Amino acid sequence: MTLLNVCRPTSLAELVAVLRGADPVHLIAGGTDLLVGSRALPDAGRLVDLTALPALRGIDTTGPDIRIGAATTDAEIERHAGLALRYPALVQAAAECGSVQIRNRATLAGNIANAAAAADLIPPLLLAGARIAGLTQGGAECEISLQDYQAGSGMLITTVILPAEGFDPDSAFVKLGPRRDLTIARLNLAVTAQVQDWRLLEPRIVAGALAPRAIPLLRAASVLDAQTLTADLLRAFLDALSAEVDAAIAGRASHGWKRQAIRGLGIDLIARLLKLSNRDPLFDGVM
Amino acid sequence: MGQVGKRLALIDGVEKVTGQVRFAADDAVAGLAHAALLFSPHPHARVLSLDAGKALAMAGVIGVWWHQTTPQNGYNSAIWLAGQQLLADERMFPAVVRHVGDRVAVVLADTEATARAAVGLLEVTYDVLPAILSPEGAQAHAGPTVDADRQPTYLNPVAKAALDHGDVAAAFALASHISETHVTTPRSHHCAIETHVCRAWPEANDRIAIHSPCQSVFAVQAVVAQALGIAADRLHVTKSPIGGSFGGKAEPILDPICAFLAMQTGRVVQLQLSRHETFTATRTRSATEGRMRIALATDGRILGRDVEVTVDIGAYCTGGAYLPGSMLQRMVRLYDVPAERYRGRAVYTNTLPTGAFRGYGSPQIHALGEIALDLAARDAGFDPVALRLRNIVGPAAIDPWQGLNLGNARGADCLRRGAKAFGWETRARLAPGTGRFRRGVGMAAATHINGCFPGDDESTTATLGLQADGGIVLNCALHDLGCGSDTTLAQIAAEVLGLGLQNIRVTPADTDTCTYDLGTRASRMTYIVGEAVRKAALALDQAIRDAAALALNAAPQDLTLQQACVQSARTRISLADLATWLAARNTALPIATQTHRATANPGSFAVHFAEVEVDTLTGRVQVTDYLAAHDIGRAINPMLVEGQIHGGIQIGLGYALYEDVAVDPGTGRLRGDSFARYTLANAPEMSPIRTLLVEKAEPTGPFGAKAVGEIATVPVAPALVNAVNAALGTRLTDLPLLPERIILALQN
Ligand SMILES: Cc1cc2nc3c(=O)[nH]c(=O)nc-3n(C[C@H](O)[C@H](O)[C@H](O)COP(=O)(O)OP(=O)(O)OC[C@H]3O[C@@H](n4cnc5c(N)ncnc54)[C@H](O)[C@@H]3O)c2cc1C
Repeated sequence: MTLLNVCRPTSLAELVAVLRGADPVHLIAGGTDLLVGSRALPDAGRLVDLTALPALRGIDTTGPDIRIGAATTDAEIERHAGLALRYPALVQAAAECGSVQIRNRATLAGNIANAAAAADLIPPLLLAGARIAGLTQGGAECEISLQDYQAGSGMLITTVILPAEGFDPDSAFVKLGPRRDLTIARLNLAVTAQVQDWRLLEPRIVAGALAPRAIPLLRAASVLDAQTLTADLLRAFLDALSAEVDAAIAGRASHGWKRQAIRGLGIDLIARLLKLSNRDPLFDGVM
Repeated sequence: MGQVGKRLALIDGVEKVTGQVRFAADDAVAGLAHAALLFSPHPHARVLSLDAGKALAMAGVIGVWWHQTTPQNGYNSAIWLAGQQLLADERMFPAVVRHVGDRVAVVLADTEATARAAVGLLEVTYDVLPAILSPEGAQAHAGPTVDADRQPTYLNPVAKAALDHGDVAAAFALASHISETHVTTPRSHHCAIETHVCRAWPEANDRIAIHSPCQSVFAVQAVVAQALGIAADRLHVTKSPIGGSFGGKAEPILDPICAFLAMQTGRVVQLQLSRHETFTATRTRSATEGRMRIALATDGRILGRDVEVTVDIGAYCTGGAYLPGSMLQRMVRLYDVPAERYRGRAVYTNTLPTGAFRGYGSPQIHALGEIALDLAARDAGFDPVALRLRNIVGPAAIDPWQGLNLGNARGADCLRRGAKAFGWETRARLAPGTGRFRRGVGMAAATHINGCFPGDDESTTATLGLQADGGIVLNCALHDLGCGSDTTLAQIAAEVLGLGLQNIRVTPADTDTCTYDLGTRASRMTYIVGEAVRKAALALDQAIRDAAALALNAAPQDLTLQQACVQSARTRISLADLATWLAARNTALPIATQTHRATANPGSFAVHFAEVEVDTLTGRVQVTDYLAAHDIGRAINPMLVEGQIHGGIQIGLGYALYEDVAVDPGTGRLRGDSFARYTLANAPEMSPIRTLLVEKAEPTGPFGAKAVGEIATVPVAPALVNAVNAALGTRLTDLPLLPERIILALQN
């Protein structure tokens, strides 16, 4: 009765052959989005399991660019010491996805391709100007920026590349959901900047769950640029964050709460970036 | 000796954690047929036609049934006794569906996947009718609940309860402080891990067997008999192990359909709901709106209260008709208030029916009462603990509604000892702070019942018998819902009989072999059934000593049971040897049956103390400390008692802060219809918990014991709301305290 065949290629050549085959191809990695009860699985074609392809696994932080295999799990990202040194925001985001069980299965490319508004890995990736390399539906190699990636385009992601110029070790990620853990973000923020003498140089911020796709918060980031972090500056920054929320979702039911909640999350973000507690006296005067 | 008061592990614990327990859907059965339901997408609609052609054409489909091909007997899924007078407004498949998720049709097939796929092929036409989706709308839909032919009219209110006690007008005229508070409580879902399931199959003599995780096999029998219009004795119901209920499985929702299909097809039929269906097509806790005015004297005495409550019971009556009365009953058993006026009404809406859920009205009414009292205390300048101590009922108080004696009521001990252990006096005086994070402490008191007395069927019968191998079998219609009641009851029997837990075998409920019992509900297992078991154990002790007296040539009164032996100062015989000795003489093995008929309904009391920290920017609340003081009479198994309290706090914490199935006022659909959308408190949300047990024996309870199962969740939400209000200086009264609500309150 079921016309869906499952295959689990173990080499790129095998994978390309499947892609070039006549059957419609559906990709599955961790299955943590695809196999959730409320979703319908495709009922025909080939379900291609990407978890046995060595080429799609692993994190390489030794070169100038960071390269991460598409089927690398959240847990592998969370535990990678080299990545934690060079781009903590992504490691922090992975560590806050789902639960231990989910992180053991969920993959980087699954998060990108599922393209949820609340996806946690996407803001730090966008922030870093990530590029994605992969295969077209016909099996040809291609590489595009994450910004230009269209979910549902049929592109198979093989590698996610963080170009050297895109990110900074001074980076952080924070999220706010209905509960502390195992929670889907109602708001998340990622920041990267160079921190110098209580100043953030060229800070950039991306917010998730504010729009269908994660968006850069250019105005809020510009408030911080190169200014000494004082209570006054932080207050101006939080005001700018609220204004960003107004611009993004005015009129929505969640608007009133999000414009306030982002102030708390904004403090958490700066605190995490500076490796301070969000109860540090620096933030006392900001309220 | 010495089983009572011990922290003994669950008798079925190892079996459970090693996966050996066979739940209702676990056993592979040859020829098992699977049913799947089609649910209404409309909150109110007439089902005009059903085209099952495509579904029936599918290989493996056995049949399709809907309202035109199934019995249309009215029934009420909340009855537990045949003939119980409750509005019989449910149909297996109604011609007019009354809520999103109401049942339209059923498909039976060889596999579950086929059944579900075939459901997707059913073509139904509806005439969509206007729907009432809010209790306010329901009030306008007023009139008699049944017409001249006793048919339900779906007019409101479905049920009312009222109390006029003392001179309320005079109380308010005399008061030095009057406050009025309006509280709303949400609909919450039980979230048992096992979804709803039932199996049924034909048995000899034209009977149908039903095997399901239920709270009363006799309730299943009564409801299915009513729905199918057949004699109850044609139904043989057994209780399967249960993967959680919390009241959600109190009403047999699937059993009538499953039994009907088994009868029609002669197959073994299984009907199991998915998680989504369990959310959208079973039961929830009813939502309530309440208003309470409190008249306080200068010395803190509550002079009078004036209370109005509306309960949204959803689309069918079920047990919702009892709620206004249950809430009243629980309200008047906490404080000694000389003048009370109460008006409670239950209304229909075109939403998911509501039903039993841990506490049955208590969490709702105590949320209203305890939040209102806290705000009154704040306005009048009283300490919340002192104010409650001034008013709480004492031992042997008589309630003003039913006139019942509340027994050894130890609420005041919970208040005093709890406050001391929590450090209330010091902590309540601490300033909440002015920064982003504010701290506050709050507390709430509560009371709950012990059983259904004065209901006329509040009794149970327990049989204990010596087996040939020296073990003891306990037979009684027992429904352990996972709380450990079987263990507690075995402990009671073991205590009396001088045995260890391993010597007692507990049989699960079976309508063919057990005498009637109304089931695991109303906090009655330890207090009522436990007393029946204790009495049966005493009688068996006597019977065993009588029998052993012959074997040992001793006087029965010189013999005692200890460590699985009957002994006197000079001689002894093991129970196993005694059984052999008796069998060899063709003598019946000792057995004892005792019926315990309740004569009282004492109150269990609890006072909970909480500390919270609120993030004033995000509106997030973290519970940072918690103490639960419980008037338990006697803890038969303190470990299980604490387990009940911990679980009760988890449910109450969700009730206060997160959980709401939230009926969409436009579409009638539930927003919280999955674990992704319905937020439960997980481990990180829980705070450290301390429990404090006040053990002052209740004379009518077994070894002095009283109930803890339901009350454990009752004071939690008001304690947390009061703590949040203390931290923020707000008057938040709409549960749950979602971050949005907190932020809005701070901005106003
Ligand atoms: C309980 C639970 C909690 C969760 N919590 C979070 C959370 O906190 N934060 C969060 O962001 N997400 C969360 N998720 C969502 C999910 O875990 C993530 O989106 C995850 O990264 C998806 O990866 P996967 O490998 O499981 O994807 P799959 O389910 O295997 O696939 C998802 C989609 O990606 C496509 N796909 C997979 N691999 C590729 C590839 N290499 N190239 C192209 N397309 C591909 C699939 O075809 C499919 O459309 C949660 C999910 C669950 C069930």
